[in-house]
Amino acid sequence: MKARMQMSTSMVRQEFFKKWIKGMQIHSAFNKEMTIMERKRAIKLSADVAIASTRSTATQWSRAVVAGVSASAAGAARAAAEEILGRKLPERKALAATCSKKIVRRSRQRRSKGVVRSSAAIAEKLVRNRTRVLKGLVPGGNKLDEISLIKETLDYIASLQVQVDVMRHLAAAAESLDHQQISF
Amino acid sequence: MLHCLNSSTSENCEMSVLERQRSRLKQQQQQLSQNHPPIPYFNGNDHLAYSGFHVDQALSDLVLNGGAMKPDPGVEHHDFRRFMNSGSATTDFQMSSALPRTVSYTAAASVNSAPGKESCKKRKADRSPKIAAEEKKMKGCAEEESKITEQNSNSKSTTTTISTSANKNSKGASANGKKASDAPKADYIHVRARRGQATDSHSLAERVRREKISERMKYLQDLVPGCNKVTGKAGMLDEIINYVQSLQRQVEFLSMKLAAINPRLDFDIESYILKEMFPACPPAMEPDHSHLQFNTSVEEVSGSGLEMVVDPMDATLRRTISAPITAQQSFLNSSSLNQIQQVTWEDELRNLYSMEYQQGRSTFISQQITGFLEANHVKLEM
Repeated sequence: MKARMQMSTSMVRQEFFKKWIKGMQIHSAFNKEMTIMERKRAIKLSADVAIASTRSTATQWSRAVVAGVSASAAGAARAAAEEILGRKLPERKALAATCSKKIVRRSRQRRSKGVVRSSAAIAEKLVRNRTRVLKGLVPGGNKLDEISLIKETLDYIASLQVQVDVMRHLAAAAESLDHQQISF
Repeated sequence: MLHCLNSSTSENCEMSVLERQRSRLKQQQQQLSQNHPPIPYFNGNDHLAYSGFHVDQALSDLVLNGGAMKPDPGVEHHDFRRFMNSGSATTDFQMSSALPRTVSYTAAASVNSAPGKESCKKRKADRSPKIAAEEKKMKGCAEEESKITEQNSNSKSTTTTISTSANKNSKGASANGKKASDAPKADYIHVRARRGQATDSHSLAERVRREKISERMKYLQDLVPGCNKVTGKAGMLDEIINYVQSLQRQVEFLSMKLAAINPRLDFDIESYILKEMFPACPPAMEPDHSHLQFNTSVEEVSGSGLEMVVDPMDATLRRTISAPITAQQSFLNSSSLNQIQQVTWEDELRNLYSMEYQQGRSTFISQQITGFLEANHVKLEM
């Protein structure tokens, strides 16, 4: 699995970079004068959609990222995401199922209070808490069971590494260019 | 099968406390298994009464044969009596009744290697009657002596629990017939030895799930730096969470940084690629010292350089357009970019970028020389 990942890393990098640049170009075409926060959001969104589209529909987290963008983004962001993905985003949907799930979970938590636990139960609880945190971190992790959560986390970490690497290269390039401009 | 049983039982006997009794038990077990090959213990439906009946029969045979065939039956009885009567009789008995289970696991596990769940059940199904036979045999001796009662009840209870579990399992395994392959049992036995009783399908499914999780956790350990030192699932999850958070924060930070650096989002890809790929280049980048020598080729290129600015991402197009560049590229490579060539590229991306860099650089040079100011390259000209 690891070897496969490393083999395809350079391909993923190229793909991500191209899509990311494309998304940012679309953003800047929509809005010429952006504040720094707008710019930052545009860069982040383009990067997220680009890295998700490199793993298009193969994994849960990329689908969740795309779904989140399609639920929230509008205007330039939506156009950029559609351009990066190469397809139309679906219309926004209501999020009804998550609400009931939360209620169920809360009631289950309340029941387990006030019980003296053994050390094994405490360890179990620690693992469960961390799993919940991890579910919150990985996009779309709330719907996953533990096995597929770890699988998704693997994939997500690998993709984040690619993303961070490419972005860092670009940032370093931009920075050194800035320095050079000053020195000229 | 027979050999396996014999070896495991002999292992048991070697591990038991009394030296003298060891050889006796071994002989008795051999006789037992000779008289009653192990097939009848599990080829039927294996309900408790059936196997118990066989065990009782075997026990009676054992006692009879032992009495008849031993050259010194009196000594044997004396040994048993001493064993039972001694001050540590209770603990010794418990040890010897508890030993067969653990020791036979290890012995069988050392013999066998490949895992398999169906035949693991079979293994258990055909093994536990043997334990039952041994324990009943001990119990029979004890009843013969009529000394120990509560230890008997203990061993009796363990015998019944094991037999019931064997009964339950053998229902599932009975379809497989009596051929008990020795090979695929070690995994199951190993897990069971550690975990106690977990033979129902839920526990098996849970174990498979846990194995899958731990296997993937291993991959994650390779992926996440610093995760190798941590043991335990909670600690590992901690590391993973921290790492994912740090990566996400880095993405945030880098996008902020890029937004701060760039007044416009319209990234000047050429210059970035140029910088990105040759971070060590800027000091050595004074374009004057070698590039003025090929004015002609640069002027040739300048036209295509403009088109590059128009469509910076399309490398293939550029490659088709920039047929005259190739000559210049070779010149660049040979003359001034030697130190660049010494850099070892990590991957194809960098190779691609180096191509783009050289082309972008050619536009840079051409603009410098022709004095042509293009809007996208104002920064470069500053």
